[in-house]
Amino acid sequence: MTFLFWLMLAGYAFGAVAALLAPGNRAVRRGTATGAVVGATASIALALGVFATDATFAFDAPALLSVADGVAFRLDALGAFFLGLVGLVAAPCAIYGAGYSATYEGRYSLRFLGAALNLFLLTMSLVPCAGNVLTFLLMWEGMSLTSYFLVMTERDEPDTVNAGGWYLAMTHAGVALVLAAFLLLAAGADTTSFVHLRAAAIRLSPTMHSVVFVLALLGFGSKAGLMPLHVWLPRAHPAAPSHVSALMSGVMIKLGVYGVLRVGLDLLGGGPAWWGALLIVLGALSAVLGVLYALMENDLKRLLAYSSVENVGLIFVGVGAGSLFLSLGAVPAAGVALSAGLYHALNHAAFKGLLFLGAGSVLHATGTRDMNLLGGLIRRLPWTALFFLTASLAIAGLPPLNGFVSEWLLFQSLLPGIGSSAPFVAPLMTLAVGALALTGGLAAAGFVKAFGVTFLAIPRSPAAEHAHEASLSMRIAMGILAIACAGLGVAAVPILAALSAVLAVRTGLSAATAEIGGGVWLSTPERFAQMSPALIALGLGVVIAGVWLGVRVMAARRGVRIGETWGCGRVTQTPRMEYTATAFAEPLRRVFAELYRPTKDLSIDFHPESRYFVQSIEYRSEIVPWFERYLYAPLIARVQGWGLRTRALQSGSAHAYLTYLVIALLALLGMLLVQGA
Amino acid sequence: MRLFSKILQVGIATEPLAPGGDEVVRLLHEVDARARRLFGRALAIREVDAGSCNGCELEISGLTSPVYDSERFGIHFVASPRHADMLLVTGPVTRNMAVPLVKTYEATPDPKLVVAVGDCARTCGVFQGSYAVAGSVDQIIPVDVFVDGCPPEPADILRGILGAIGRR
Repeated sequence: MTFLFWLMLAGYAFGAVAALLAPGNRAVRRGTATGAVVGATASIALALGVFATDATFAFDAPALLSVADGVAFRLDALGAFFLGLVGLVAAPCAIYGAGYSATYEGRYSLRFLGAALNLFLLTMSLVPCAGNVLTFLLMWEGMSLTSYFLVMTERDEPDTVNAGGWYLAMTHAGVALVLAAFLLLAAGADTTSFVHLRAAAIRLSPTMHSVVFVLALLGFGSKAGLMPLHVWLPRAHPAAPSHVSALMSGVMIKLGVYGVLRVGLDLLGGGPAWWGALLIVLGALSAVLGVLYALMENDLKRLLAYSSVENVGLIFVGVGAGSLFLSLGAVPAAGVALSAGLYHALNHAAFKGLLFLGAGSVLHATGTRDMNLLGGLIRRLPWTALFFLTASLAIAGLPPLNGFVSEWLLFQSLLPGIGSSAPFVAPLMTLAVGALALTGGLAAAGFVKAFGVTFLAIPRSPAAEHAHEASLSMRIAMGILAIACAGLGVAAVPILAALSAVLAVRTGLSAATAEIGGGVWLSTPERFAQMSPALIALGLGVVIAGVWLGVRVMAARRGVRIGETWGCGRVTQTPRMEYTATAFAEPLRRVFAELYRPTKDLSIDFHPESRYFVQSIEYRSEIVPWFERYLYAPLIARVQGWGLRTRALQSGSAHAYLTYLVIALLALLGMLLVQGA
Repeated sequence: MRLFSKILQVGIATEPLAPGGDEVVRLLHEVDARARRLFGRALAIREVDAGSCNGCELEISGLTSPVYDSERFGIHFVASPRHADMLLVTGPVTRNMAVPLVKTYEATPDPKLVVAVGDCARTCGVFQGSYAVAGSVDQIIPVDVFVDGCPPEPADILRGILGAIGRR
């Protein structure tokens, strides 16, 4: 395993160096991809190795940065799960990037992009491997900074600069909170290694436990995109190159989930029931609001970014339910809920990665992300359309794909909670199930919109009309993830059984979870519910094949007449008559008007002679997300106010600065005196 | 509450069938029986106004009125030719409606029936020779049955429909 670990490091390092040194653009792109694929494959192998041998991989370099306990890596099953998840999406994204980054040739530095991508993957892979606080924070910060530079790739666009600013602010606010949580936790520990923190946590008071948990939840939540800390996602994801968006949305935000699990469940060893309730409430809020905002988006990648907020919400509902059941002592139920959350994290990585790569192909082919300018791409990009449809079906939770399995499991893990006798648990679970059902329905509508408006009907702009299919490497990358979506769905039973090792952080949890899978059946404790993904896939396959054959036979007998699309007998049909993305979402905009508070602006230019002749008509409708108007706008104004006020200190006079130095020195001496006395 | 008090105050307002109404109901039963035999379900009709003065439409909508209520006999007016077994075309075909009529005919799945309702549909009536008229219905699409009258009564229209589904 040590070999695999070093191979992973070497792969990514090679990718970074090759990107910087290779001669010519083609070589740079190839070198970047080769290094990243080797690194990603090694990381998957390392993760599988940890799973297979049930051992913890450890590597220490205490001499490196020995002031803060040195660099240490410890890879247990929980970390290995997330490491494998990184690798699963990283490999296709690297292959995709080899083709996709050709668009940047001559405009932006491919060398910088390739090196930053490999360093991003490297640090991201090492986050779940970290064995002490220093290593964790170093890798976490490395991941944040490299991803910031990747977001800033198209730095000429004003939107990108704005997005980068938001991302940097949110991620560093998060790091500050995480750091505070770790410092509080490490106060009584011998060293900052996770082993010692775990032991020290037992000595901390319950109040301190809760403070650490809430700080960690806020800090990691800002990375995960939990509402109301999600504001950077819909800005940064569209701005980044598409394979980087896929990585950030598919993988990086999951490491926020990893952080919450590591600190809350592992280091602190679980907590009171309200921790779980808080996670469920935040998760349900993110899920419902995320999907509602996703539905209103006309920018394909922004839609996907909001959908990531929704899915992170679902993951947190699962994690929260698990933590709640643990505090109530219902270990088997907790096992189901946690594996539902983790499995959804894995599935979301696969289908959201694929969706972003698909959106990247669309962007690559047409140069626009605005769905109202797309349409008709199914004929021009058949492969991309097929892969995008697969991922849309998966994310909408349709069998036999992977989204269905994890959402089914999530529902089944919450339903027993409705019968719980503990106070407030039954109503909470009922509301959570309702929120989940609403989310599922709205997500399906959202992806009907995303796929339908983008790929069906006739092109709405010349750019969409002259679109071309993605290059081979991009199609291969999307194909790998599409197969992963199907595989994770059909073969869910053995995979879930194998995942039970992840939950070894608490005694009894693994054993309880291992009973989820049995033969072809997926069953929850006490046979509350049973489902077989493989049999459903088989049944669906038979039905679809039967219908297809039946139609073929009928068509052969009766003949097929292909006619024009029925357009009410119109003489000409133009794209202007099509259903637009905005129009598709209009009914929901009305139903949820209280939440969206849309502003409408309709201006019509009439002919001067008669009002019956309209010369031009302009309709503009905007929604301002609630949190940004009522939470972030006042906050930003306040911070700027403080900034302006403190500027008075910076007078530019050296004498004033010398005075500050003296004052600071005297204050420190005073503090020493007080402490000494 | 106002609804209930109104129901109580007004009482039954339905008038008895006018003379000749029994004949229409008999024809409706016959259409129902034949449509059941032919399709095993209701007869789906798409009405196309190709330029009529709307006199024929008045009579056709009389069929679906509460007096006859043709829906209960399985005569179903549908919103798209894609769902239709039969086209009910009225009026002389105007230039503007010629292409849409052809497109409607093409959009109707085979096998299909066309019933041209009213004198205008056969001869263009008083609109004959107008610069706005492209021709009678049978000059634009194949017609199975013509229904004469200006306008034809509901009973005549039903006889036309019967004649059309009787031909098959």
